[in-house]
Amino acid sequence: MNPTPPARWWPAVLLALAATAPLPAALTAGGTAYTKRLETNLLAEPAALAATVGRLPAGRPVQIAEVRGAWLRVSAGSAAGWVFAGNLSETKPAEGKGLGALGLSASATTATAAARPLSPAAVDYAARRNLTSARDDLNWLIEFCQGFTPAAVDSFLKEQKKGEYQ
Amino acid sequence: MSPRLVSLLFAAGLATSAFAFDLGGLSKALGNADKLKKGLDTAKDAAKLVSGLGPEEERALGDTVALEIIGRFGGLVRDEAAMRRLNLIGGALARYSARPDHPWRFGLLNSDTVNAFSAPDGYVFITRGLYQIVADDDQLAAILGHEMAHITGRDALRIIETGEKGSVLMKQVAMRSGNTREAEAYLNQVGLNTEKIVKFLVERGYSHPTEFTADHTGHDLAATTGYAPGGLRAVLLRLQQIPAGPQKVFSTHPPLTERIKRLSAEAATAPVSRPGQSVGPAEKSGLTPAASADAVEKPAPPEVDDDDRAFAEAAEKKPAKKKR
Repeated sequence: MNPTPPARWWPAVLLALAATAPLPAALTAGGTAYTKRLETNLLAEPAALAATVGRLPAGRPVQIAEVRGAWLRVSAGSAAGWVFAGNLSETKPAEGKGLGALGLSASATTATAAARPLSPAAVDYAARRNLTSARDDLNWLIEFCQGFTPAAVDSFLKEQKKGEYQ
Repeated sequence: MSPRLVSLLFAAGLATSAFAFDLGGLSKALGNADKLKKGLDTAKDAAKLVSGLGPEEERALGDTVALEIIGRFGGLVRDEAAMRRLNLIGGALARYSARPDHPWRFGLLNSDTVNAFSAPDGYVFITRGLYQIVADDDQLAAILGHEMAHITGRDALRIIETGEKGSVLMKQVAMRSGNTREAEAYLNQVGLNTEKIVKFLVERGYSHPTEFTADHTGHDLAATTGYAPGGLRAVLLRLQQIPAGPQKVFSTHPPLTERIKRLSAEAATAPVSRPGQSVGPAEKSGLTPAASADAVEKPAPPEVDDDDRAFAEAAEKKPAKKKR
C-alpha cells in the first residue's frame, strides 16, 4: 500500500492536520489579534509556503475573519491574508516598556544585538565577584548563539515539521 | 522649580540609578543628587520611571544574573551537539513566543543538580542533571518553554520594579519633608543591589503563582510550536520516580506534586494537539542520558512567599535608626 495520498488530496490533508493544532481560545473569528514579529507576512493560503500577499509591522491590530485550525484569515486596513496563529498575540503589546514591548526597537532585535558584548555592568560584576571563568563561558555562549539565525531556525522548523510547517 | 517637580525629578533619578548595579552606595545616591541639580536626562528618566525598566537595564541585569548562574552551577558544558539541540529547539519556541525577534540564548550548565533557570534578556539555562533525564524533545521543549515564560512575562523585572517603585515612593515622601540628607540616607539603606537581586533569583526562585503561570504559558508555547503538550507533566512524573539523593530537584520551583496536579487538570480541558516528532538526547548529543538511579533528592516545598512582592521585602533593608 502506498502511504502517500494523491496530490489532489493534499489541500484536505493539510487542512486536517492544521485543524489538530492548538489554538488559543481568544483567537476566534470576529476577534482582534496583534502582530508580534517585526514583520508578519500575510499569505495567500493557510500554508507556510504559500505566496506572500502582504506584510504588517509589529504591534498592528488585525481583525480575524476566519479560523482554519491553527491558521487565521485576517485583515488590517486594505491588507488581508492568512497568518499562523503562533505569529499573532492575543493581547496588545505593551509599548514603551523596554522589554515588555515586542522588541519594537530594531536595534534590540537584530544580528547586531545578538553579537553584542557583555554589558559593562556585568563585566564589572564578574571582576568584583571573581567570576572570570563564568565571564569567559558567557562570552562563549553569546558567540556560539550567533549561529542560530532566523534562517537556521526556519530550516529547523521545516525539517522538524514544527510551527507553521506542521 | 516647584517642590512637586523636584520630587519627581529626584525619583526619576533614583529609578535610573537602581540599575547601575551598585545602588545602595551613598556615593551613588549623592551622584543622583548631582544629577538632579543639573537636571540631566530628566525627561528620559521620568519616562523610564513610568514605563518600567528598559532594554539596557534588562541587558545588564540579564548578563549579571547569567554570570552568577554559570558561576554557581559548574560553568557551561561546551558540547556542540547538545548546544545545537538546545538552541534550535529553543529558537523554534522563541519564534512563537511573545518576543519572537529577540536574540535568545540557551546554555547547558555543568551540574548534577536537576533544575533550569532563566535570566532577563533571553538567557535560559538547563543543568546537565536535568538535560540527561529528559526523554525527548517534547520534554526538553516544555522545560525551555517554562523558563522562557519567566522572561516574556518579565517576572524578574516586575519583582524589581515593585521594589524599586516602593523605594521611589518612600523617597518622594522623604523629599517632601524637605530633608534631603535623610532621603539620601534612606536610599542608601533600602537600595537594591545586584548581589541581592541575583541571590534571590538564583537561590529562592519565584513565587508559586508565578511558577504555575509559567507552567501554563510554557505548555501553550510548546504546543503551539508543535511539541506534545504533555511534555512538562511527563518530565515531572519522571522526576518523581527518581530515588532520593544528595542533589536537589527543582529546588527553586514549587513541589512536583502540585505542578503535576495542575498540569493534569489543564490537559483535561486543553484542545487536542498534534505531537511533534521527538528525538532523544542521546541521538542528538554526545551527552548520554543519566541512569535512572542518578541520585537526586525528593523535592521539598521551597520556602517562598505567595507573592513576588516578598522579593522587595527580602531584598530591602529596613532603614537604620537615625543617629544624632
